[in-house]
Amino acid sequence: MSRAEASAEAEPQQVAKPSRRAPSVGAGDAEERVAARRLRIAARQEAKRREALGEDPDAKKAEEEEQSRSHKQIEESRQRLAKLLLDGMQLVTNIQVAADARETQRRTEEAELKRQRLEKLDNEAKTNQDKFDEITSKWDSAREKIIPQDLWEVLNQQQQQCALLIEEKNKLIGELQQELKNKDEQYTKDLKKQSDDINLLLERMEEQIRNLTKTYRRELMQIEKAFELERRELLTNNRRKWEQAMQTHNAQELEYLISRMKKVEEHEKQLNQLRGQDAREFSALKIQLENDVQILEQQLQQMKAIYQLNQEKLEYNFQVLKKRDEENTIIKSQQKRKLNRLYDVLNNLRMKLARQIKQFQEENQNLTADYKRIVEQYRDVQKTMRQFATINTQKFLELWLMNEEEAKGLMRKVLDADRIIHTQQLGLLWSEPSYWFLNNMGPIIQKGNRTATALAQEALEESNQPKAEDTEEAEDKERPLQHISLKTVKKILELLCDESGFLIESKMLSLLQPLDRNERTLMTLDSVFMALDIDSEADVYRLVDYFLKFKAQQDASSQGKEKTVEKDEDACEEIDGEVAKEEDGSTAPEEKGKALLPSAALLSSVCLHPDDILKALKAFVQDLHKLREKQPLGRRLLDGRDTSTDSGYWDNLAHIISAQKLKLWDALEAALEKYYNILTQRLKLLMKNSSLQQQNAELHLLLQQYCTSQMNDKLLIPPTQLMELSPP
Amino acid sequence: MPTVNSTGDCQPEADCASTSSKGIASFSHVKMQEPVLGDTSVMPPPVRTSVVNPAANIRHMRRIIAEDPEWSLAIVPHLTELCLQYIIINFEKKPILNHLLPEHKKRVLDRISTGLPLSVTANLISDEGYWKRCCTERWTVCDVSCYGGSWKQMFFERHLENILKYFVPNVTDPDRILDVIPLCKDYVRKLEIDQFLPPVKLDEKKEEEDLSDSGSDVEIDELSMHHYDIGGLIVALPHLEELNLSYGVKDCGMNFEWKLFNFTSKDCSNLAKGLKKCQSLKVFKLTRSKVDDDKARLLIRNLLDHPCLVELDFSHNLIGDRGARAIGKLMNHSRLEILTLCNNQIRPPGAQAIAHALAKNATLISLNLRLNCIEDEGGQAIGHALLSNSSLRSINLAGNELSEPTATLFSLVLAQNTALTSINLSCNHIGLDGGKQLLEGMSDNKTMSEFDLRLAEVGQESEYLINQTLRANQEIARLKTLQQSNSPQEKLP
Repeated sequence: MSRAEASAEAEPQQVAKPSRRAPSVGAGDAEERVAARRLRIAARQEAKRREALGEDPDAKKAEEEEQSRSHKQIEESRQRLAKLLLDGMQLVTNIQVAADARETQRRTEEAELKRQRLEKLDNEAKTNQDKFDEITSKWDSAREKIIPQDLWEVLNQQQQQCALLIEEKNKLIGELQQELKNKDEQYTKDLKKQSDDINLLLERMEEQIRNLTKTYRRELMQIEKAFELERRELLTNNRRKWEQAMQTHNAQELEYLISRMKKVEEHEKQLNQLRGQDAREFSALKIQLENDVQILEQQLQQMKAIYQLNQEKLEYNFQVLKKRDEENTIIKSQQKRKLNRLYDVLNNLRMKLARQIKQFQEENQNLTADYKRIVEQYRDVQKTMRQFATINTQKFLELWLMNEEEAKGLMRKVLDADRIIHTQQLGLLWSEPSYWFLNNMGPIIQKGNRTATALAQEALEESNQPKAEDTEEAEDKERPLQHISLKTVKKILELLCDESGFLIESKMLSLLQPLDRNERTLMTLDSVFMALDIDSEADVYRLVDYFLKFKAQQDASSQGKEKTVEKDEDACEEIDGEVAKEEDGSTAPEEKGKALLPSAALLSSVCLHPDDILKALKAFVQDLHKLREKQPLGRRLLDGRDTSTDSGYWDNLAHIISAQKLKLWDALEAALEKYYNILTQRLKLLMKNSSLQQQNAELHLLLQQYCTSQMNDKLLIPPTQLMELSPP
Repeated sequence: MPTVNSTGDCQPEADCASTSSKGIASFSHVKMQEPVLGDTSVMPPPVRTSVVNPAANIRHMRRIIAEDPEWSLAIVPHLTELCLQYIIINFEKKPILNHLLPEHKKRVLDRISTGLPLSVTANLISDEGYWKRCCTERWTVCDVSCYGGSWKQMFFERHLENILKYFVPNVTDPDRILDVIPLCKDYVRKLEIDQFLPPVKLDEKKEEEDLSDSGSDVEIDELSMHHYDIGGLIVALPHLEELNLSYGVKDCGMNFEWKLFNFTSKDCSNLAKGLKKCQSLKVFKLTRSKVDDDKARLLIRNLLDHPCLVELDFSHNLIGDRGARAIGKLMNHSRLEILTLCNNQIRPPGAQAIAHALAKNATLISLNLRLNCIEDEGGQAIGHALLSNSSLRSINLAGNELSEPTATLFSLVLAQNTALTSINLSCNHIGLDGGKQLLEGMSDNKTMSEFDLRLAEVGQESEYLINQTLRANQEIARLKTLQQSNSPQEKLP
């Protein structure tokens, strides 16, 4: 058994042991506790009693005594020192007091002496005054003396008395001077005494200081000693107490140790017993518990297996859910981002929209302004263009005329030259060629440009005077489009004239009343055309064409209607009635009219019912407008002229001389050139000849001059001689 | 007649022949001292070029010199060092001090010469160290506690005192004092002048005077014997608190002449005028100056209703009854606390006047009438006054020819008065009976701590007993003071 165990066993023993001797409060037994409490109360009361009796005060007294030892020493020292100080002070001041006393004594003595001296002086003065008076009185008596001896005697006496007086005075002075000298001596003595006193004072002071320092030092040492002693005593006392306490403590410790050892042994025995018992119980319990453990382990294994299975399942689920959750979060965030982005886009777009709206409004305004401006401009341009067109046509005409004139001049020149060549050079008969274009003047004008009124006039007049066939042919040529006969045109126009009286102003009608029927019709047509904005021939034809087509259409529809309502004969009859009505209607105006042409209705198998004319007219006007819009006015004006024939015309003008003739002309030219060259050569030779003849004549003249001149005679050798000598 | 002449030499005369060589020496010593001490203010300041170390050569051998705090190993000194050196050398011309750093300032103050002119240093330097050096160099005994602990104050006070002590009217240039006044007026609080030199006469006049009799001399001299006008000076010192004068010549030795100690009426009137204007004065002492009744009255008339005069000392003068009457009036017209009139000629009427004033007074603490002649009449009057007075703590009537009647009255005073703590009746003729009466009075007293009865013929027994009671009273007083000092401490726990 180890030591630690022993100590552990001893612990309860130690606690138990004092409880046996003195009952403890913490003991297990109730009686014992009561006893312990009683004991404690008793001890307290005892302590109180002791305190009341003065056991503690005793200790206090001792303490006070101990304390007061040093205090007493200090007090003693202080008293001693105070006494010393007082004594010293007295010793020192004694000198001063003595000096003062001497001084007062001296003063009193001095006062006394002064008084005596003054008295003495007074007495002296009095006696001497008497004597002086006596002497002065004697002077009078002496003056009375006549006898010289007496006088001498008296004078002598006086002199003696005066001498006596002076002597007395001198004596007094001497006494006083003696006194003064004495005083001087006394003063010097006093001075000496004073210096002695001062020296003594200094000596005593020094001695006192020395004494005082010595005593102070001694007292200090004594006080220190006392304190030290006190301290030492205290120390020894305390040490003794300490040792006693230590001894008791040691004994107690030993006792405790022994009891503890005993307890330890006892406990050891008990422990052994307990151990054996416990070991048996332990083994039995162990076996049982091991069995339990095995069973439980099996269960545990099973549970573990289930648990693991569940865990895996759950984990898998958890993973799946996690994944889903992640995906969801991702999607959510994406959606959110998208939402944000879309919001941004939306906002941007909104802003853009607003901006664009504003922009477009502005643009629109700008454009409308532009449009207005452009329309204006366009109108201006049209105006100017029309102007230009007229100017151009005029210019064109002028140019045309000018060029034609020039070309014709040239042509005529050429023809003249040709005529001359033929007649003069070749000697052939020349016939003037005749072409249509030679007579043509101005630009080639097409017939299509005729106005509508003109056409109308023509159409109206056609009935009255038959036209020349060639013109009819020419017209046909020019208008291949117009396959409609003039008669139909006329018919339609008359119909139009009658039906559309509303288009003419009432004033006009009244004005037209007195006119010829033909003219009146013409005028009304004119005004109707004006109202319908029909100005060209083509339009008139188109109108007629339209009317015809409209008629054909109506017929077709009526026929279709007839087909659909074949069974219903009433309907047919009605239609027949209608047709009859129509015929009546158409005949009615004819009848109403002057009925100049009764065969008109017969001629135009395709005759319009006057009621339909208005509808047709309306439709035509609409179509016409559409057509007009498609075709700008300017182009129509420009395109009015056909330039195809112009080049032919001008070519014809240019090639009035044929190529055969030109060849002929070239050959003629070459021959004439040759002829000309020969002629020029001949001319040159003739010219040379004539010049040489002239030269010769001149030289003859010169030679004659020389020969005839008188200078020859003067010369040594006259040239004439030489000429003669050497004839050429 | 030996007097001071312009050259400062001693004139050998007929009387002078008898004077001892010691007298000449002592007097000439006085004369010799004057220029030496006076020179300090005018003396051209010795320019100290550099601090030469005599042991420098030996010191070069050492690396470290522990005993010299300013020693450094560096061969080239610091620039600051050089600058400080320059400032120190040229301090007289360019006193740069207040712009320096504290450490540099301290070094400069430690090293500048004490001989610099006061006009430079007086108002610039307030450092006590510098003035301490000045004082210790100039005087061997320096007790700074007498000067309020200020070395600067000490220097200026003693400097001014020196000038005044050796000021000879008509010879010394008055500008010397006038020059110093503006420098020291802020620092001088106390003037203690124990000698005033008389004016010097011309040689011829001196001879005439020597020939003529002394009787006529005095009157002629009286006119020309005025001392320096101290009144003008004290007016110029705004902080003056204590004035301690004595008109006389010290160390005259065998050249003693009565007229060296004349306090003339002109001097008196000058002084009185000055006192009237000097409102800050607290202590005024005029001792050993032959102040008679008229002069005392003149002075006191000018001191009436002085705002702060606390102490007045006229000891060793010639003040009589009229002067005493004036002083009695002054007692109740000022705040006097300490009055000293010892060794004067006050007789019973004067003492009665003082006692009359004392009976009504409530400010006086100490009264000293030592060595007067007030006798019993005066003593009784004072005793009666003390019965009603309750402020006086100390009274000195030593050497006043007092006797038994006064003692009987004083025994009453001892029994009744509780304010008195100190009585001095020494050197009187109190007698044995008087002593017994005093002992009776003393037996009931618990406050008296000093009672001097030496040489008062009271008998040893009564004197001893009185001393016993005195000691007991002293103990009581001591304990009372201890308690008073401890009581605040005891109250705390």
